[in-house]
Amino acid sequence: MRWSLDSFCRTVTLLLALVARGFAQGGTSDAVGLPDEARYLNNALPDIRVQTIERPDLRLSDLWGDQPVLLTMVFARCAGICSPFLRSLKSTVDRVGGLGLDYRVVVLSFDPKDSPADMASLARHLGIPSDGNWVFGTSEPAQVQRVAAGMGFWFTWNAEREQFDHPAMIAGVRHGQILRLLIGGTVAPVRLREVVDELNGGFVKAYPLPGKALFRCFQYDPATQKYRPDWGFLLLFLPGSVALFGTFWIFRTARR
Amino acid sequence: MADTLDSAPSPYRGLTFVWILTVLALFPILVILGFFLRALQADYMTKLRPEWFYAVMTLHGLGMVGTWYVGSMAGVSYLLSRYVKPSVVISRIAFGATLLGVVLLLACTLIGRLGVGWYFLYPLPLHSKGVWPAWATAAFLGSLGVFGVGWTIWSLDLLRAIAQRYSFSAAMAWHYLRGKQNPEVPPLVLIVTVSMVSSLAGFVAAVVLLVLYVLELLGGFNNDALLMKNLTFFFGHVLVNITMYLGVAVVYELLPAYAGRPWKTNKIMALAWNTVLFLVMFAYLHHLYMDFAQPQWLQYLGQISSYLISVPAAVVSIFGALLLVYRSRMRWNLVSLLMCFGVMGWAIGGVAAVIDSTVAVNLRFHNTLWVPAHFHTYYLMGVVLMILAFAYYLGEQGSGIAERQGLTKLIVALIVLGGYGFLMMFYYGGAHSVPRRYAHYPEEVSQGIGQARVALVFISLLLVGLALYLWETARRCFKALSASSASS
Ligand code: HEM
Repeated sequence: MRWSLDSFCRTVTLLLALVARGFAQGGTSDAVGLPDEARYLNNALPDIRVQTIERPDLRLSDLWGDQPVLLTMVFARCAGICSPFLRSLKSTVDRVGGLGLDYRVVVLSFDPKDSPADMASLARHLGIPSDGNWVFGTSEPAQVQRVAAGMGFWFTWNAEREQFDHPAMIAGVRHGQILRLLIGGTVAPVRLREVVDELNGGFVKAYPLPGKALFRCFQYDPATQKYRPDWGFLLLFLPGSVALFGTFWIFRTARR
Repeated sequence: MADTLDSAPSPYRGLTFVWILTVLALFPILVILGFFLRALQADYMTKLRPEWFYAVMTLHGLGMVGTWYVGSMAGVSYLLSRYVKPSVVISRIAFGATLLGVVLLLACTLIGRLGVGWYFLYPLPLHSKGVWPAWATAAFLGSLGVFGVGWTIWSLDLLRAIAQRYSFSAAMAWHYLRGKQNPEVPPLVLIVTVSMVSSLAGFVAAVVLLVLYVLELLGGFNNDALLMKNLTFFFGHVLVNITMYLGVAVVYELLPAYAGRPWKTNKIMALAWNTVLFLVMFAYLHHLYMDFAQPQWLQYLGQISSYLISVPAAVVSIFGALLLVYRSRMRWNLVSLLMCFGVMGWAIGGVAAVIDSTVAVNLRFHNTLWVPAHFHTYYLMGVVLMILAFAYYLGEQGSGIAERQGLTKLIVALIVLGGYGFLMMFYYGGAHSVPRRYAHYPEEVSQGIGQARVALVFISLLLVGLALYLWETARRCFKALSASSASS
């Protein structure tokens, strides 16, 4: 009895230590450096001035005034995520459709060294036509900071690598207000379609936030606008089933 | 039903005294914590940081839920030992686990100031934002784990004990459904079987929940908040429901002896409790009405189950109790009075719960004081009174101390008046949109402050009644305990 009490206490202590270690490693669900969407929804973005190679004196409100906008921030010299991210955005936009009708895309540089010409050549390099539906521009550093702060975007200069550290993200904006954030370097068509739906007055009840979820209860299919049960839903049957089988087992064995 | 008031001496007797005296010691402390919460809401302690409110609320909530769960389990185990043989050793293990869990809970709330509320809704325990340290969450999850293990083993043991005498179909009274009366199955056995199967399901849900928490902590991925909420309420709601049913089982077993009439299992009762076993797994869905990510068909299921579940358990039992008492030669004393008021509290709390489980109403009442109002009614004025009746009954047997009628009336009057006065302030606040779980009421709902002040007066009355009750019961229990140990 004494041994088992000892080992019980040791097991409990070990478990507590393991869980505490999980905390110490910061294993909470916050994905590091990514903005918490809930804090930015419905934020009104500042209506700043933007320069593009075609239109040197543009305001953001000129862009979101008649159409919702997908707003993203990159820098032209980026050797990391920016190009693959924009490529992914472009191919997803092509797949989802509706560009020019339902929304336009604004790509704003946060690098004070970028000029409208740099942004235009980035667009050319990616094979994106400058037809007014894709807008590549720059702005004053202080103005850019205000927009970045409003949508939870951040960037810091890394002198060693001579590159900016920053996340890849898109803000879905309607009449200057943030309706959704799409976070991550790869833009999934399912998610973009949801954002476009929402920007055009649809109501998307649920969608996954960044970070890997182990089991989901339901998966929302924006194509059919329906939910289908996912693996997590099966977990909800587990308690009842285990209890019933356990009970049958007890009643079968106890009477022997 | 046992035909005499005096129960046969059972090995369970001594241990039941230990359980019940522990419950009686914890209860006033937890009520005083409740008083403290209301005093904060009454703006009497403005200097105190709100974190204290949430830490104490967590301790009070989980402490009360746990206390009355073990109290009702101890009660039914004792009464069940008239028919079957539950294990004394297992009950001791459950007691040890409960004590260990309580120590961890005290540490994480009072030292660590963990304030996640009694059902620790995901992901709050993982986001303390510096209010409580990491070890407090670990200790909290540890305490839930320890409670869970101890109580699951206890539930399994009660099922085992029943299974040794009855087949599953007999314990579930299925033969009554076919019009047969043999073998005779006491309502206590039927209700405990239904409750234990349900509580096993609840505990499995808790295990899955805890495993997902620990996996998230160790594995660095997120859990699905909707899944976690479903599991949390599956467990929490079932635990609360089961406690209620166990309290009712005590009434089924004890009240007939005071009414001088039997209360036997019949076809309707069998049907009612079998239906409960099915519906109790779905009623929890009403906690997710405001989660629009939950598919609509589950919301319908929640509404329908919540309505239906009140019929078999509550209506059948309440009408049964009324018929039992009506025109009987009722022996009114503290036990029978508390049991009848307990059934009344269950009925009132049940009606308030059904109102709140109506989607259209829930839209307004969600997270207002109406919620604590309804569950405090069926707990404080329901199951608590039933178990207090059992505790007094236990002491009454073998202590030989005569009951003073005047004092009994005073105790019941103070408890009922104090209790309902306290509850009225919750209901009134809820009906006027005063939110629940606010440490300090802001300007917009400042009327909550006045309501909390009135509530404090009633809580004080209740505390006086409780002190008298405790004195009367504890001295009987101690005397009966020493008498039974002297004779053994
Ligand atoms: C006179 C006795 C009691 C008093 C004065 C009292 C007081 C309170 C107060 C003021 C709150 C916070 C309400 C709010 O949300 O603003 C509360 C919450 C709660 N109480 Fe009581 N209570 C009493 C008895 C009970 C009993 C018998 C139970 C039985 C289980 C209980 C269980 C709970 C629970 C579960 C909560 C919710 C905690 C949470 O939201 O996490 N209380 N109580």
